[in-house]
Amino acid sequence: MELGASVVENLCLAGDTAHIPDKCFDQLARKACRGVLSETDRNAIADDPSFKAVDKAVLKAAYSGVVALVLEAVKHDADANGISHFLEECKFTPDRIQSFNNIFLTQKPSMQILLGSVGSCRPHIVDVDWRLDYYIKSNHMERINEAVYLISLKTEVPGQTELQEVQFSCSLEQLQDLVGKLKDATKCLEKQAQS
Amino acid sequence: MEEVDRIIIHSLRSIGCDIDEEVHNLRQFNTDLIVSAAVQCIKFINNDADLPNTLPPGMSARFRMGASLANYVQDMGYRGGDLGYQTFLYSNEAEIRKIFMFLVEKLPKDTSQVADEPMGSSVMLHRAISTELGAQLALPWVPTFLKDRGLRNRTKQPGWHREGTSCMHRYHACHVAVPRDVASLTVKLPKEQRQYYGKQLAFLTSQTQCHADTAPSVLEMTAAEVARQQEWETEWNQSGLTSRLSQKDYKARKMSKIQKMLTDRLKQDAKQRDGGSTMDSLRDLQQVMASISQNARGGTKTKGSRFAHTEKLLYGKDEEKTMAQIGAAVPSKDTEEETQRKREEEQQQLREELTQLLSQIDQLELDMRKMTASRQQMDEAVSSAAQQRQDKEEAFQVKKRTLDLLPDAHNNIQKLQGVVDGSAQRLLSLAAQWEKHRAPLIDQFRTLRELSSQRESEAQRQLEEMKTFRSKMKEVADEARQKEDLQKQLQMEYERMTKDVNRTAYTRKIMEIVANIKKQKQEIDRILIETKSIQKEINSLSGKLDRTFTVTDEQIFRDAKRDESVKKAYRFLAALHENCEQLTKTVEETGVILREIRDLEDQIETESHKKVLANLEKITEDYQQMKKENATLMAKLKQK
Repeated sequence: MELGASVVENLCLAGDTAHIPDKCFDQLARKACRGVLSETDRNAIADDPSFKAVDKAVLKAAYSGVVALVLEAVKHDADANGISHFLEECKFTPDRIQSFNNIFLTQKPSMQILLGSVGSCRPHIVDVDWRLDYYIKSNHMERINEAVYLISLKTEVPGQTELQEVQFSCSLEQLQDLVGKLKDATKCLEKQAQS
Repeated sequence: MEEVDRIIIHSLRSIGCDIDEEVHNLRQFNTDLIVSAAVQCIKFINNDADLPNTLPPGMSARFRMGASLANYVQDMGYRGGDLGYQTFLYSNEAEIRKIFMFLVEKLPKDTSQVADEPMGSSVMLHRAISTELGAQLALPWVPTFLKDRGLRNRTKQPGWHREGTSCMHRYHACHVAVPRDVASLTVKLPKEQRQYYGKQLAFLTSQTQCHADTAPSVLEMTAAEVARQQEWETEWNQSGLTSRLSQKDYKARKMSKIQKMLTDRLKQDAKQRDGGSTMDSLRDLQQVMASISQNARGGTKTKGSRFAHTEKLLYGKDEEKTMAQIGAAVPSKDTEEETQRKREEEQQQLREELTQLLSQIDQLELDMRKMTASRQQMDEAVSSAAQQRQDKEEAFQVKKRTLDLLPDAHNNIQKLQGVVDGSAQRLLSLAAQWEKHRAPLIDQFRTLRELSSQRESEAQRQLEEMKTFRSKMKEVADEARQKEDLQKQLQMEYERMTKDVNRTAYTRKIMEIVANIKKQKQEIDRILIETKSIQKEINSLSGKLDRTFTVTDEQIFRDAKRDESVKKAYRFLAALHENCEQLTKTVEETGVILREIRDLEDQIETESHKKVLANLEKITEDYQQMKKENATLMAKLKQK
């Protein structure tokens, strides 16, 4: 896990007892995690009374260092050992390392979920409705008598809470074709899962 | 033997044989145990061997089972001797040991194959992918509204995996600003910047417009910084060090190079776009003419501006472009002819003026050139005249002095001679002094030059060394990382492996046995050498004996014809020789007999291990039983 020089500098600032006293450090770490996770707590650190004694520029620098560390650690799925090792290089005292690990590791799963939800994807099919219609006749032909399937695929689109639908109609052979392709796909997946 | 037995018993227990806790060596195995253990082994190795697990009670069934066991073991490739039902039913410890060692050796190959797979990282990745896919495929379908924001919980390692996509955001990173050098002791932050950091700059998590962009932006910022650092390091290592400038100078030079390149390109493009350098000069000329015309014509400002426009019309190479540039100054249709006429008149006038002025300028230029050329000539003439005057003055001085000296010619000639000699001497001494000074200075110069070239080559060498050190450092770091990864993998494997077989004890014993065998081999070699030397001695001594005996025999025989006492001596000699021969023969025979005794003792021991008597008794018993069974079967048959 590598971080750039300015981030390391800000982290050293955060670990320095002269600039950030011990009581404030826990609060800083907690606010950093909450600030990343929840939208309402984005700016919660600005109004926190326990940081009155700290110089604002120093506080901002330390906060950005901690936020960057937290996100990188989640990205690399670092465990307590890796983080302790890194923080020792940034000249943190063992107490601070311990308290940081405690706070961070409890929030790590939710942050992993947050990072996992970043990405773009096509609409995701979750459900399907189908209906079999019988095409009796039209204005061009007197007698047609064919079966027609109406398929409606329900998809999840990122950003929308309601399911969107993709509707199409197909004949029996086309539907058999589609189902055959789906079966091939499942067989391929199962083969991958076995090997 | 104890060790071997323990290993065999342990392996048999591990495949599921039910062996008592008190059984510690193969001698304590009875026939049932032997048979059931062998059947288990065979079933483990070869799954479709249909043998009953225990020895059946009937004698003929037992006989058949023993025979089939023997067949199976021989089919598997046992080469230790003939097998038959007797090896299993009437067992002999050594043979049983061999058979079990063979079977146990055949066993572990099935279980150790699993641990021998390659542990490359791509293989591990594939395995992780397939386990994850298998786990996800095994879960039943759940409708969307039952998944918590698209996540499903499960008990395996991460505790969740994502199935729905409605809560996903696309990756969008914005620029975020972070305070730098706030508490740095080397860089002084200007007061305004510190104020900005303190009052205006927002906290990092509130800087992006949309909160979902915070994580991507911060990740991108850190990654960009790391990438920039690495790039700078590689560039500095490759070309920065060889240029031998400090970091600041190198960066300044690079910046100036890039700026120069930019300005050159911009100038080139500007020239290309405006159609050549004539336009620039024409524009300048046009400005000059505009100012001249303004000064000359006073209040004709509008004409001046139109003059500027018409200049463009006249001299623009691309008339459409210039028309487009003028744009709004398109004349209306009514006055077009008038303006056209006016324009043509003006054009004519201006052309005439222009040609006049141009010719004047040319004339003036020509004059100027002539003037400068003539001035140069004058200067040269002046300087040459001054030189001549100087020479003439000197010649005059010399002549005047000689004239003065002429009256007292002789003395003066001598004085002059003396002066000339003295000056010649002075010249010589000065030349010698100069030589004296020159030599050490030249030496100094040479040594300094050598020093500087040495220093250059030293610097080159040190650069090379630094490069090799850096590459070595990288290699060592890579190796260390690889070894750490390997160690982690092996640690995991070691934890996975079973620990009930004490490998260190076995390896120690094996090493001890090997050392023992080496010692024994050395002893044997020594003894062989001793034996050989003794044999050689014996041979040489017997040869000597024969020779001396024949010689003495002849001699005494010759003398014996004459003398009586010599005949007695001869008879004594013959008797002595015979007795000694007998002695040696008996010594040899005792040696042979001792060896035979030893062999026979060994044979007795091996035979006593075979338990022949006990087996014979068992065989006779079983034989009786078989007879009885046969009799009963015959009776049954007869009854039917």
